[in-house]
This record gives sequence, structure tokens and C-alpha cells, in this order.
Amino acid sequence: MNESSHNQTSKKVLVIGGGIAGLTAAYELARLDLDVDLVEKSNFLGGHAIQFCCKADDECQKCGACSVEKRLLEVIEEPRIKVSLGSELTGMNRNSRFSYTLSLRPLKIDPQKCTNCGVCLEKCPADGAIVRGYSKNNVPLYAIDQNHCLFFKDGSCKVCQDVCPEKAITLDQGDSQASGEVDAIVVASGFKAFDPVDKPWYRYGINKNVITGLELERMLREKGEVLRPSDNKFPERIAFIQCIGSREPKLQHGFCSQVCCSYAMRMAQAIRHRYPEIKATIFYMDIQNCGKDFSSFYTKCRDNIHFVRFTPSDAWQGEGDQLTLRYSDEKDGHVIEEVFDMVVLSVGIMPGLSNAGLADLLKIDLDEYGFFACSDPLDSTPTSQQGVFLAGTAQAPKNIADSMAHAGQAAQRVAQYLGVMPCPK
Amino acid sequence: MEEIRIDTTVLVIGGGWSGIKVACELVDLGYRVILIEDSATLGGNGLFDHLVSSNKEELSSLLAKVKDHEAVEVLVSTRLVFLTGVPGDFRVWLEQEGKVSEKTAGAVVVALEAEIVSLSTAYGFQAAENVLTQSEVEARLASGGAGDISKDVLFLVGLQQEGSPLVMERAIRSASEIQALEGCQAKVLVGNVKVAEHGLESLYRQSRERGIIYIKVKEPPKIKQDGSSLQIEVFDNVLNRDIKLTPDMVVVEEAFRPHPDATRVSQVLGIGTDSEGFFQQANVYYLPIRTNREGIFVIGSAREPRNLMHGWTDVGNTVLEVRNLLGEGKKLVPIERAKIHRGKCTICLTCVRVCPHGAIYWDNRAIISPVACQGCGICASECPMDAIQLVNYTDEEMEAQVLASIEKKVEAPQIIAFCCQNSAHEASRMARLFGSSLPEGLQMIKVPCAGKVDVDYILTAFEAGTDGVLVLACHKDNCKSQHGNTFAEWRVEHVGRMLEEIGLEKERVRFATVASNMPVEFVRITNEMEDTLKGLGPSRIKKQAAA
Repeated sequence: MNESSHNQTSKKVLVIGGGIAGLTAAYELARLDLDVDLVEKSNFLGGHAIQFCCKADDECQKCGACSVEKRLLEVIEEPRIKVSLGSELTGMNRNSRFSYTLSLRPLKIDPQKCTNCGVCLEKCPADGAIVRGYSKNNVPLYAIDQNHCLFFKDGSCKVCQDVCPEKAITLDQGDSQASGEVDAIVVASGFKAFDPVDKPWYRYGINKNVITGLELERMLREKGEVLRPSDNKFPERIAFIQCIGSREPKLQHGFCSQVCCSYAMRMAQAIRHRYPEIKATIFYMDIQNCGKDFSSFYTKCRDNIHFVRFTPSDAWQGEGDQLTLRYSDEKDGHVIEEVFDMVVLSVGIMPGLSNAGLADLLKIDLDEYGFFACSDPLDSTPTSQQGVFLAGTAQAPKNIADSMAHAGQAAQRVAQYLGVMPCPK
Repeated sequence: MEEIRIDTTVLVIGGGWSGIKVACELVDLGYRVILIEDSATLGGNGLFDHLVSSNKEELSSLLAKVKDHEAVEVLVSTRLVFLTGVPGDFRVWLEQEGKVSEKTAGAVVVALEAEIVSLSTAYGFQAAENVLTQSEVEARLASGGAGDISKDVLFLVGLQQEGSPLVMERAIRSASEIQALEGCQAKVLVGNVKVAEHGLESLYRQSRERGIIYIKVKEPPKIKQDGSSLQIEVFDNVLNRDIKLTPDMVVVEEAFRPHPDATRVSQVLGIGTDSEGFFQQANVYYLPIRTNREGIFVIGSAREPRNLMHGWTDVGNTVLEVRNLLGEGKKLVPIERAKIHRGKCTICLTCVRVCPHGAIYWDNRAIISPVACQGCGICASECPMDAIQLVNYTDEEMEAQVLASIEKKVEAPQIIAFCCQNSAHEASRMARLFGSSLPEGLQMIKVPCAGKVDVDYILTAFEAGTDGVLVLACHKDNCKSQHGNTFAEWRVEHVGRMLEEIGLEKERVRFATVASNMPVEFVRITNEMEDTLKGLGPSRIKKQAAA
């Protein structure tokens, strides 16, 4: 996978988080001839964005999902970037350099031996215990989720270890520690998607056909088509409900997540283009822009998708796992009840669960919402700690293109801070 | 590999705040900057961006630095009239008050700020004392002209244009200032409230708490103006009836349009624009600050009107790209990525015209710059004399690959799929890795860009007995070489017509687009092709060869 070619005398940077912002920061830093320790707490690089689907209809919608794929490939091929999966920051000390400690959850599947045959996943008796990465550039492609694995629950199962033809799986490996020293840090720890379990009136977790925008992304990416989870049939009518978790001062989420209108419109449009028999409705408060050429895209969408400026307060159970949404007509206000086969909740970008802990360890601040605070009114990358910079949604909600740009800017600021950009004579 | 000398001067076009900032950052790295500005003064459009008005000190110091620094040559009343050359070696002609001078530069940064255009006429207003543009109200509030603000002020936003967070923020801030004035009430008649920007939703909510009334509607209002009497009629979707507003004063939103010289400058530079005329086509490969042409970058409102923080992000990324391009003034490059055979070249300049990266120029023969060339191969496959060969993808090598891919003894339909390395090739590898079921007779040939696929390769494949050919490219607007996929599509149509002429079915050759992250689409397209070919039966050429 990654043979690091660390130069002992060159400067080194710690990048916390292997999503698109972390990947971009690592890549740009490596391009500047800096060594990078890229630390990711989950089993896979790519964060949320690697799970997203292409949303082209008859042309590219510039969502950036394929850019993530490309960046991931560039990172795993870059010898200056040393990747550590299953790793979380446990300590940070600052003297002349930053000394950090990590807790390491070793990879149970050895990437050197694994041939990606998938037999382990096939034979595994526990649901969700073995997971496959989203991209071929996830190395290793398979990983063991200790939360669902029976071996880690009660030691009762070793099926994968026994059936693996390459003997690549070793379950009995405890957590360990690792440490390192770096000269600068980039915090690119990403976000947590809003969990609509906190809004049970939409019946998420109760009715199988209520899914989140992220779940729709995964479905389209893996299957290439949209199917009702309850019966694997095509939905005839899909509803998207916007602003789930966002723009809600009551939940202390008084911000716009910036990506939900884009992803809902693009996915609805892509679905309609491929399957014109599926009807799509988007329930919204205010439609937000997505990139260049937005006006013409919005016009195209309005021809294909029914836009209703109303946020339904509930999703009522209908016949056969259908859902009824009620809204008022915008001409005369009478109440309309419409039946849908699927409801997609456009969940927003919330602060990551590890933000508070990381802020403590790094001695940097969080803003009022729980995202990492930036210290400069014109530049959203520096923090109150010299040498610690922010990249991506760790700082605030933003889309893929903005996350990549933000990470590039962070890399440039790191280089400036370290004084490493060579000058022409 | 050879080491070539790289010019370490950067031409920055546009002396607004982003242009000034990038100039400062570049000279800090030791590069020289020529900063040109078409007006007589440096410094950007003033009050419209709150970040500008609230960071005057920092911006003033940047301005001072740019004016005083010995590595920055500031030329006002100057515009670019001509550019030639390649990255690391551009020659530019600058015109100042009728006089033209020639300079050299290694890279170019376009920072021509967007202009602000009033929409009062679009709404149907006549000029009047009490009909102000957003800029006018900002100027009035800034100069402390509180007494000139009437009691009941109505802002019109997002009804004659879709608008953007920057447009919205201007209205919210000015409305908030007016609301704070004694006896004033601000109302905002708005389409979509644009808050997709850091801190903007919070600003919007606070303005509502201060008493500003937002009326969200879907249609532009009907305007009745009689002297200073204003009547605004619109259908209110909450009350479900028409409402009539009679403000003392209206403030009309403004639109951001590309700099008035944008079209001409984009033509001089050979870079594309988007559908609204802003620099930089909409293509993910160009984000954030690149263009179709290596060595030419676009920052700030030249590419998209957003606030100064985004301009600063663009500057940071540009510094990285410039540093990577210009380095310390010399660069190790492969001697040639594409070779031009002097004997065959007729200097028709087809290659110069089709190269999307501006990598080909000509002296008394066509020359390909190794710094700018991206190895897409579009030129090689368009050259009418076959005078250009792409290293590692020569015609000889490609035809050999095609012939090697034809398997004589396979029962299933033979499909040769030319796969673009940026999309289909990646998707195909993922499909294999995920154990997807692909057609048995499928053979894939990687190409650096679908634009490399020559008509000859496809014909060779049919001649050798393939049942079908797929050319798989990136989606429209997703081509790393801008239009490689378009060239590929045209060539496939061309081959289809040729097939019909010789008695083969045109369905045997197909062009399709796929993304690198969608192996399921790759599987679908290849399996569909197999079904089509099963329906058509084996190719007549194959049957004849076997007979």
C-alpha cells in the first residue's frame, strides 16, 4: 500500500482526517515536498464524499464525486504520505515541534496479503461485521467492523480467519499506541450527517422507505438505480424534504448546510433523466445555489421536478409502506395529501462527534455550533494555535469543490508557516 | 528528460483586491509580478462586500505593499492585447494609452473583477429620488446620510435574477442598518433567501429578530410608479392573495456580471468562459482556479462573484499552482510527450486549433510544449497527415493492441472497448474488483483520453473481426481535456456512417459516457452492448474471414 519514504531532515505535517479535505491537504503538502502523516479513524479513506454517486444526466453536474475518486488514487500512490487507518489522536504536546500520540486499531485484514476475493464477506454470519470500501482505491478493500463482529463480542466466531485463502485475517490483535512528531497540523476531521432519528415524525427508522440523502447516494452508486428498501421495486413517486437538521435554531443548528439543495436537485434530476416514469417532488424553504450555471440548471429542474415551497411536518404511514405528506396549495391554501413510495430526507452537515475532544487536545476553539473556529476574518484556515490549520467541513459546511479549495489554501498556509516554499534566486 | 528554463514573472490582470493579494503573496515567494489594471487606480469595488469594508486596514497595507515593492511593476490604464507562447514562456503585449509594449511571463493570473449592474429597469422602475440601487443605498448609509432614508423601505431581491448569497447579504446588511434608524421599517420582498454561506443564516435570523419583514414570493411584482408614489403588487403565497405594498422608498438588487472586457480578454488568452460569461468553464477539473490552458489561472469574482474570503482561498490555491509550475525557474520535463514528424507536418495548424491546453504553437513548424502538453492525444488523432505520435500511444502500438485483443476462438460476441483512463478505465477496474459480471468477449484498451481514439483504430478492429466496438469517455463537461469526449463522439458517428456504407450495422460501434466512480454503469453499458450484438449476430467480416 504505502511505502513511506520519509526524509528525516524534511519537515512533516500531521493531517487529521482522510476525507476529501484531508486527502487534498495531504496531496498538496506532498507536492510541496513535505512528508505527511495522514491519520484516519475509520477503516477507509475517502470520508463521506467517496460514497457519493455520479449525478450526470446528459451532462456532468459538477458535483465533484469523481474528483474524490481521483484524489484518493493520487494519495495512495504518493510515497510521501504515510496513511494510518483505524487511528485516533489521544495526545498532543507542543514544544519546538508537535508531539502526538495515537491509539491504533490494527487492520485485521492485512493489505499485503488480501487479494480482495471477498470470501470473508460472503461467509461472515453477522450482519455488517465485514464491510467493503466504496472505491477500488480503498486498500484494503475489506475491513472488520468491531461493533458488529461476533469475535469482538464474545470470541465465538472466527469464520473469516479460517476461510481466507491467503491467511490474511488475524482477529486477535489488540489496540496499540503510536506516536510521532510533526511541525504543523491540519485538522480535516469532517462532519457528521444529521441523524433523522432525532425527528421521528418523519418515520425514519420506522418506515424502511424513508431514507436520508446519504443513503440515496450510496444506493445510486452501488446499484445505479433507486429501489424501495421495503420491496426492492421502483418507486413511482419520490419526495425529497429539504433542510432536515439545518437552519434550525431550536437545535442550535442556525446555519445552512450548503449542499442539500444541490444534492437533492441533482439526484432527482439524474433519476428523472434515467427513469422518466418516476415522479419527483422537492419540498423546500429556499433553494440554494450550486456552482456555476446554476440558473439554467434550476430552470431545467423546474421542468422535470415538482417544487413545493412547504416543509411537511410529518410523514404519515400509508398503505403498503407508502407515506403520505400533507402540504397546502400555494394558490388557495387548501390542504393536499399526497402519497409517496419513498421519502428522502435531505440531512445536513453537522459538527463531527470528535470535534470537542480534538479541540481539547489541540487547544483550539469551537464556534457556537461546534465546528472548529477560524481565527482570521478573511482566511478560514488558521486557528488560535500557531501551526494548526483547518480544512474542509471540520470548519463549516461546504461542498466538495469548496472543501478541496479550502484544503489547498490550508496547505499553502502550512507551507508559509513552515517557510518551505522555495524561492527563485 | 530535459531541463528547461522557466520565466518566473507572473502577469496579474486586474488590480482589484484579489489581484492585489495574489501579487503580494507571489512576491513573498520571490517571483516578480506585473500587475495591470485597466482603470487609473488600483483597489477593488468598494462597499459591496462587507469583508472589504470591515478589513480596510489590512487591505490598505496590501495596497501599499504592491505599490512600493520593487518586484511588482504596476501598470494602470493598461490592458492585455495579445498573448503567445506556452507556460513558462509567454510573451504578452500590453497597451497603455495607445502605446504597446512587449513583456514576458511564466504564468498569467486573471483577476478582472465582476461589474455591478442595476436591475431597476428590469423591474420596470423609472429613475426617481426614491428608487435606489443597492450600491446607492450602501453609499448613502456609509456617508452617514441617515436623514436621506425614508421611513418605509422595501428591498427587492431575487425576483429579476436568481441571485446569490452575496446579493442577499448586501440587502440584509443595508436593511438592518435602516431598521436600526429611528422610525424606519425595512421590508424585503424576496424570491429564494440565499443563505448558503458561512454566517449568513445567522445574520438573516438576527435581522428578522430586529423587526425586518421578509415577504417570500415567486413572481416578480407589478410596479406602479406615479411621481414619488410607489405601488408594488405581488401574489403572497402565505396569505394566498395579492398584496399591495406602498413603500416610501425601494432599494433594487443589482446583478454581478462579468467584467466588461471579459469576452475580449478570454479570446486573447484562449481560455473559455461559462454560460454567463465569467472566466473558467464549468468543469470539475478546473476547480478551483485553473482553466483549459496550463499556466493561466482565474481568481475571485473573475470566475464567480463570491465574498473576499473565497477570493483569498483562490489566491492561496493559485500560489500553490504557480509555485508548482514555475518552481525556482527551471523544470525537468519529458523531452517529448508527443512527437511531430517534420516531414509529414504541412503546418495546417489543425493541432494548434484543437489542442485544448494551448500547448501547441508554431514557428516554421508546429511545436508542442512539454510543459503544457497533457498527453491527451487529441492532436495526434485529428492530424490529417498522421504527423503526430503520442509517446506510449503511437498508432503502431495502438493498432498492435487492437489486433492482440481479437480472440479468434471466443463464442461470445467480441467487444473491444476503448476506455478513457480518467473515467471508463477506472470504472472497469472497479467493476472487476467488485466481481461484477462483465461480458465474456470484452477486451479493454486504455487510452489517455477518448480523444486519442483514432477512426483507424476502430476500423482496424472491425477489419480484424470484432463484433462491436465501444468508445467510453467522460461525461459531457467532465473531460479533463475539455472536448476530447466530443471529438470521440464525432468520430464514432463518422465510423457508424462508414460501417453502413460497407454493409455493417452502425449499432456495432457505440459511444457512451461513464464516470470513474460508477462501476455499475460500466457493467450496464458493456452488458447492453453484448445484448445488442447477440441480437445482430456475428460480424459479417468475421464470418468471411473464417470461411
